[in-house]
Amino acid sequence: MRLKICHLYPDLMDLYGDRGNITTLVKRSGWRGIEAEVSKISLGQAVDFRDWDIVFLGGGSDREQGLLFADLCKRRDNLSAAIEDGLVLLGICGGLQLLGKYYQTSQGEKIPGLEILDLWTLGGTKRLIGNVCIELNDLQVQFPTLVGFENHSGQTFLGQVQPLGKVIKGYGNNGQDGGEGVQYKNVYGTYLHGPLLPKNPHFADLLLSKAVERRSGNSNLRKLDDTLELAAHNYMLNRLKQ
Amino acid sequence: MHLGSKLRFILALWLGKIVFILSRMAGKQGTTLPGSIAMKLCPDLIAHLAGQLAHGTIIVTGTNGKTTTSNMLASILRKAGYRLTFNQAGSNLITGITTVFLNSSNWLGRIQTDLALLEVDEATIVKIAPLIKAHTVLVTNFFRDQLDRYGELDKTVGMVRDSIARHLPEATMILNADDPLVAQMGKRMKNVVYYGVASNKYSSFTSEQAREAKFCSFCGGEYEYQLYHYGQLGIYACPNCDFKRPEPQILATDINLKGIDGIEFKLGDTNIELKHQGFYNVYNALAAGAVAINLQVDPRVISQALAEFAPQAGRMEQFAYANSQITLSLVKNPTGFNEVIRAMVQTDRALGLLIAINDNAADGRDISWLWDVDFEKLVGQAEWVVCSGSRAEDMAVRLKYAGLQSSILIIEKDLSGALEEVLERMQAEHAVYVLPTYTALFPIRDLLSKVRSHVYAS
Repeated sequence: MRLKICHLYPDLMDLYGDRGNITTLVKRSGWRGIEAEVSKISLGQAVDFRDWDIVFLGGGSDREQGLLFADLCKRRDNLSAAIEDGLVLLGICGGLQLLGKYYQTSQGEKIPGLEILDLWTLGGTKRLIGNVCIELNDLQVQFPTLVGFENHSGQTFLGQVQPLGKVIKGYGNNGQDGGEGVQYKNVYGTYLHGPLLPKNPHFADLLLSKAVERRSGNSNLRKLDDTLELAAHNYMLNRLKQ
Repeated sequence: MHLGSKLRFILALWLGKIVFILSRMAGKQGTTLPGSIAMKLCPDLIAHLAGQLAHGTIIVTGTNGKTTTSNMLASILRKAGYRLTFNQAGSNLITGITTVFLNSSNWLGRIQTDLALLEVDEATIVKIAPLIKAHTVLVTNFFRDQLDRYGELDKTVGMVRDSIARHLPEATMILNADDPLVAQMGKRMKNVVYYGVASNKYSSFTSEQAREAKFCSFCGGEYEYQLYHYGQLGIYACPNCDFKRPEPQILATDINLKGIDGIEFKLGDTNIELKHQGFYNVYNALAAGAVAINLQVDPRVISQALAEFAPQAGRMEQFAYANSQITLSLVKNPTGFNEVIRAMVQTDRALGLLIAINDNAADGRDISWLWDVDFEKLVGQAEWVVCSGSRAEDMAVRLKYAGLQSSILIIEKDLSGALEEVLERMQAEHAVYVLPTYTALFPIRDLLSKVRSHVYAS
């Protein structure tokens, strides 16, 4: 089997080692004999999201997020249709914010978003920075927790969509309501960098199994030796729970 | 000065000096506390002291290489006969700088030196620039470093640029032409000297590394590169506007990296020899040389001072052990780490490594930058890697996903235990490197010094 992974705007949105998420998806597919092909798609390149199994959109600085927004808007309807069809999408930080209705800066300027998900973001003056762990809502995964590092000034609020999990330690979406990230169909948005997937191998496998299931109807993945990954996961989990 | 402010100045000076003596008596370094107390009483204390310097002030700022560059420059300037006020201990925050000025002054408030050389943190320059009218500002490069402290890189660069343009409009800027983030600062300034590295056998035509500044600071166009030296440093031009790498007035040519035998290159017509390893040290010596040339220092003095200059603690520092050597090098961001990897793989020897990653405030609490380092280059050459420090597990995961076999990765969080693992595995044919982040550097250096005496007295 072959999985097609689309890394959106890797040249603009690759803050905080987020490329590690792509590496993790590729390696964990490869170790199971599944070939993963990664295409880097940037400004102006033609793409049909219905062709892809997994799309990744990371975070960037404000200036870079501004540069790509016009480009992303042209792709909106196509992306939205693919999402309704079960496309697996991981959006981190800026990637999460862009899927929402708008980003309102601390000066009050409203920058529109893709309006694919019912969420919005208010620019804050304080940066929400630090290690974070969350408990996942209702996902069929081996372990109920995610660990990572958050670093954002935007505060995100959810309308009629579910958060990805609830904060055990850290700030999460806005530092107020205890929610972290968003989940809608096979779309997962979160503020967790770190990068996220290497030390949350169960979550990486969730994305892979959703993609494999959509393609072949069978969601079973061969188990891997995750001793090192889980050691990293558990170290941070225990440190934050203390 | 009015009598009142003169009195406040003297009081602050005395208080600072007394606190310094007391902290030394208490066995402390006394690098920041005296300055911070004196500043509370007299916030512009350093302005009063720096204003007396016969030869004024030089500021060195940027992300990588500040400490090495300023130390090289200090050696050159001392050899040239200047008496320096220099924040040598790497204390580059304003309190540390104030302490250094306190110690350069006598009890009457008269400065005893003639030139200040200040290594200044990117975030501190905003505070220093309004207080001290530096006549020369050297900017080395800008890379992502400790993002969690300063916010994103664009903001840092903008902050440094605006602060210098506003407070030091007459200063001579000594700028790295090869870094577009640094070179763009020249457009706003009157007096600019550019330095750079000529095309050489180590240049590459592609860059797989995470690069900063892919887009023009003036028009947003994507830079086109003729070649790369490292990171975003290279020969570039914007295809949309007239901004391109400025022609360097001071150029490094004929570079030859000789592994542990050091580096040689030509600075203009002068032959330079360094005891250092790593391509980035060409930039450090070039930057120091550029400032010295601009101050009319004799090129022979520059060459001699650089030849005698020993690498500092933990910057590719050599320790002899049994029949072999251990190289110790601080790692703190992707670009620096990639340069260390480049030097390691050049040895063509099997590698044994100890990588110690801590995540205290001084290391940067976010360790995600490890995923922007090209550990993939170690595959095949690394025979064993001991991962240590508080984030040892994360380091091991990174190496596993870089393609190293899990069986050659050893996790030992305790530094002294980790060093024992190294000594057990070490064989004569191995090139052994110990690579700690900042807060692991000095503990591990102490351990190494106990194991064997090191080669350079630095």
